[in-house]
Amino acid sequence: MQTILNFLIKHNHWFLFILLEGISFMLIVRFNNYQNAIFFTSANRVAGDVYAIFTDIDSYFGLRTENSSLLKHNRELLQEIAVLRGQLNEANNSKALLNDTTANRYKNNYNFYAANVVSNTLTRLNYFIVIDKGLEDGIGNEMGVFNSNGVVGVIYQASQHYSLVLPLLNNKSNTSCKIRNGNETSILQWDGKDKEFSYLVDLPRHSRFAIGDTIVTSGHSSIFPEDIPVGTIDDIEESIDGMFYKARVRLFADFSTLRTVFIVGRDGYKEQKELEKNIPKQ
Amino acid sequence: MTRNYLIRIRNFVLLLMLQVFIFGQIHLFGYATAYISILFILKLPRYTSKNEILIWAFLMGIATDIFANTPGVHAAATTLAALLRNNILEQFIQKGTADDIIPGAGTIGWSRYISYMLLCTTLFYVTLYMIELFTISYPLTLLISVGGSTLLTILFLIVAESFTRK
Repeated sequence: MQTILNFLIKHNHWFLFILLEGISFMLIVRFNNYQNAIFFTSANRVAGDVYAIFTDIDSYFGLRTENSSLLKHNRELLQEIAVLRGQLNEANNSKALLNDTTANRYKNNYNFYAANVVSNTLTRLNYFIVIDKGLEDGIGNEMGVFNSNGVVGVIYQASQHYSLVLPLLNNKSNTSCKIRNGNETSILQWDGKDKEFSYLVDLPRHSRFAIGDTIVTSGHSSIFPEDIPVGTIDDIEESIDGMFYKARVRLFADFSTLRTVFIVGRDGYKEQKELEKNIPKQ
Repeated sequence: MTRNYLIRIRNFVLLLMLQVFIFGQIHLFGYATAYISILFILKLPRYTSKNEILIWAFLMGIATDIFANTPGVHAAATTLAALLRNNILEQFIQKGTADDIIPGAGTIGWSRYISYMLLCTTLFYVTLYMIELFTISYPLTLLISVGGSTLLTILFLIVAESFTRK
């Protein structure tokens, strides 16, 4: 008995070791399982604030490129306004077409928010982005995130003042996409290697596309509205089983220089999620 | 004693900030990252109790995790490296060395100090990337990442050592 006790006392660091490793692995597993381990990321208040200061200083160095990209986006928006004005005029002229039902159908039911990127840990294999808007600003889980170039990712978890974004460059990311002017949808997945490319993994063999075609969001997932640009097709190969095409997509968003992003959320999305929760599991 | 701990806490915060804002941003060729915070564990005096090393290492790991958005990953890896630190250090210490030396080029010699850092850092990165990749579907990626990251980190640590030693 005495020997066992002595042995245990002498090697008491093993208990501490097992305890600490236990805590670590609990955090890893819980975070991977989509639980609320968000406190242990920089989306928590303290780390978020520290990052915000650093990003404040750092942001001065990228003002020139940021400005030009904002200008470009502004110009595109102005063009869009012009086009829409034209369509509105046309619609007003032919009032017969504009009855109540169509007016409702085309009502814009997406809300847009703007946020600054606080931390962008592109150095990690599976990385996340933190933005400075959270639950209090109206951000919720699974809203779409994009910037003036294209799709960035999806809100993974939101805390009060900050949110964690799951970028396209993450193994967990699945975004429903399609080829612009086409109908076939496919899932965009990252293979964990190159930070410029992602892959459309299951394009049907009958779909028509060519290298250089633009990939946009499909609008089926209810996270993104239709037609937000994602990237261009860079290379095409057959999938391993020969049933599908696999297309390499050069992403529009430059993840290493992200500063400002837009977040899009659909009205009634929460309602839909609540309903889906009630679907009985088989 | 209290003063020692204050200095230690200052070093802890300093290393953490350097790691998060400067060295954590470095990412060479998509494979190599630098984790210089490990210096804190390497530099704890010889004969620091294992429990103490474990706790410091865990705190450093979890703090890095919070900033890198990788809950638990660094913590698990630093804790394992901390468990074996004393055993590794003893391999490189000659007989008759004082009990309370701080491992460094001045106290145990350059070649021994580098080997000591190399072993600890490799151990750290092997654990880190195993956890991060989880399933080792790309053994080559793992090897390149571990090798590249270890070399990069060691390089920074050698530079740091030659600057602090006057």
